[in-house]
Amino acid sequence: MYDRDLLLYEALRIRMIEEKIIDLYPSDQIQSPVHLSIGQEAAAVGVCANLNISDWVFINYRGHAFYLAKGGPLPQFFAELMGKSGGISKGKAGSMHLADPNHGIMGASAVVASTISHAVGAALASRIKGENSRVFVANFGDGAMEQGAFYESLNFASIHKLPVLFLCEDNGLAVHTSRGDRQAFDVKKLSEAFGISFISIEEGYEPSIVAEVSARAITKVREGSGPVFLLIRTLRYKEHVGPGEDFSAGYRSEEVAKAWKQKDPLFEDSAKFDEFKMRINREIEDALNFAYLSPHARVEDLLTDVI
Amino acid sequence: MSSSTYRAALEKVMKDAMEHHQHTMIIGQGVTDHKGVFGTTLGLADKYPSRVIETPLSEDAIAGICIGASLNGLYPINTHIRADFGLLTFNQLINLAAKYRYMFGGLFEVPLMVRMVIGRSWGQGAQHSQSLQSLLAHIPGLVVVMPSSPQSILESYQYAITSYKGPVIMLEHRLMYELEFEKQETNLVNPLFGSIKIRVGYDVTVVATSVMVLEAKRAAEYLEGYGISVEIIDLHSISHPDHQIVLNSIRKTGKLLVADTSWACYGVSAEINRIINETDSLMLKSPAISLGMAPAPCPTAKSLEDVYYPDVHDLVASICKLHFGGKSNSIPLPMKQSMTDFYKHFKGPF
Repeated sequence: MYDRDLLLYEALRIRMIEEKIIDLYPSDQIQSPVHLSIGQEAAAVGVCANLNISDWVFINYRGHAFYLAKGGPLPQFFAELMGKSGGISKGKAGSMHLADPNHGIMGASAVVASTISHAVGAALASRIKGENSRVFVANFGDGAMEQGAFYESLNFASIHKLPVLFLCEDNGLAVHTSRGDRQAFDVKKLSEAFGISFISIEEGYEPSIVAEVSARAITKVREGSGPVFLLIRTLRYKEHVGPGEDFSAGYRSEEVAKAWKQKDPLFEDSAKFDEFKMRINREIEDALNFAYLSPHARVEDLLTDVI
Repeated sequence: MSSSTYRAALEKVMKDAMEHHQHTMIIGQGVTDHKGVFGTTLGLADKYPSRVIETPLSEDAIAGICIGASLNGLYPINTHIRADFGLLTFNQLINLAAKYRYMFGGLFEVPLMVRMVIGRSWGQGAQHSQSLQSLLAHIPGLVVVMPSSPQSILESYQYAITSYKGPVIMLEHRLMYELEFEKQETNLVNPLFGSIKIRVGYDVTVVATSVMVLEAKRAAEYLEGYGISVEIIDLHSISHPDHQIVLNSIRKTGKLLVADTSWACYGVSAEINRIINETDSLMLKSPAISLGMAPAPCPTAKSLEDVYYPDVHDLVASICKLHFGGKSNSIPLPMKQSMTDFYKHFKGPF
């Protein structure tokens, strides 16, 4: 059983951190695109509740939530977004390329679907090295399921029965285009056609449900019987990239979003959240102070780590 | 003096890697079959079944799988029996492998090798004939090497596998596979970087890549009989050539011919001329000449293919033009003969 309050705390923490990014954005201290996870926090929190530090997640440009949920340090996160030398990648990565190998957070890519095969390869290496019970998570959105490398990866992982969790955060949008305009296939049938068992979660707003259902999927992968496909229905509250909302653009329904938000536990009026918020705000302030004090990325590092 | 074929050297480095480095994995289409990537992986799958991996026809994912495996401690060697299949991996090679170290501020290293074999002649056609070195060498983060001898293979592959911590692209030339070479010293301090002066001369410098190094040697030996002294530099590391070797040679001869296996524009020829012009634009006593594939896709018909590729005839003509300027000379040009015909029956030494 999962401590729901603990999961809610983690989800709220991620939301408040990203809301802080929205506050900061007009100040131009973060001079690069941000793809916010707001609305999708429960997926990352629920899944990561079942992962060990030795399990690896391969993430993408909308990676704040997974970075934070898997244990990536917050001060180095803010410093990274601000292009500071104290950033987790010395300012060379920014928001779109977060990573922290110490917590099993492998490199995030801005090219859709391009890290799915990395999870498969790491799992293959794990098999060859004779490791046991490590899980490799390929995290992607519904748009990635339209890329060829996605199918190639499902096929290879299934042939070799590799310990991969194919984790789709399905927010129904690829940039501004709805899933129905892009996909002619049924993802469950697709997954099963490759011999990969398929599990889906409709309640992607509730971290405790995500945690419980994804536990089944992850346990199955860990036991070594092959890859599992886990699809989590979720909703992106903000625009594709940037700190704003864009319901007025007309490409998606605000009514659907309103109905979804009514089920989002982070909007619950609860006294416990007041205490959570106090603690989280303190952590954010401390982390921001670290980032502010960190010097800008060093010019001497321009040509380091090229080869 | 011992000799070896290009193919035997490849077979040896693959075998040594599997035997001595337990983290090596060979993965690609055909690595376990009876042909074994032109005989370079034969027998390895039987001996190391878990580390020699046949693949579905999924070059894009396989390239990504190599990156993931490398992150988890293996040394993947990804083979492509024709370099044009490598084009399907450019997202992974350029967007990910080349940047994985830099983009994450040094948090990761992705040591891996990609072997791409350039096809040529026997009607390889527009696709299998391509030589991708300049496309790849353009990208910071990639090391691109074109071995032109077994010795280069023995040194550079072993160094890549045992010591280098990033992605290396090895562009092998199919035409050289069965040729016998006498042992030579390449004199490279670091076999993934730098170029090799393989012939000393005083009149004209030829900077050559891959199989064009052999053609340059044929041309140089031919012209020696007519009193023209040709210096040859095997560029070897396309991404990280030795600028000083090239510049010192041009300072001496003042005459430059670049002979590359690919197209001239935006390629090796352009880069060599950039290096010279940005150092001292007066170094050249006459305009440089570039030889490469004709500026078109490669035709399949033999009558067209034979004139598509430059050969010893074109090298000799170009070197004479550089040496004599506009003045006429009495040196007869060797017959235009397709390299395939020549090398098919060729038995060393080089």
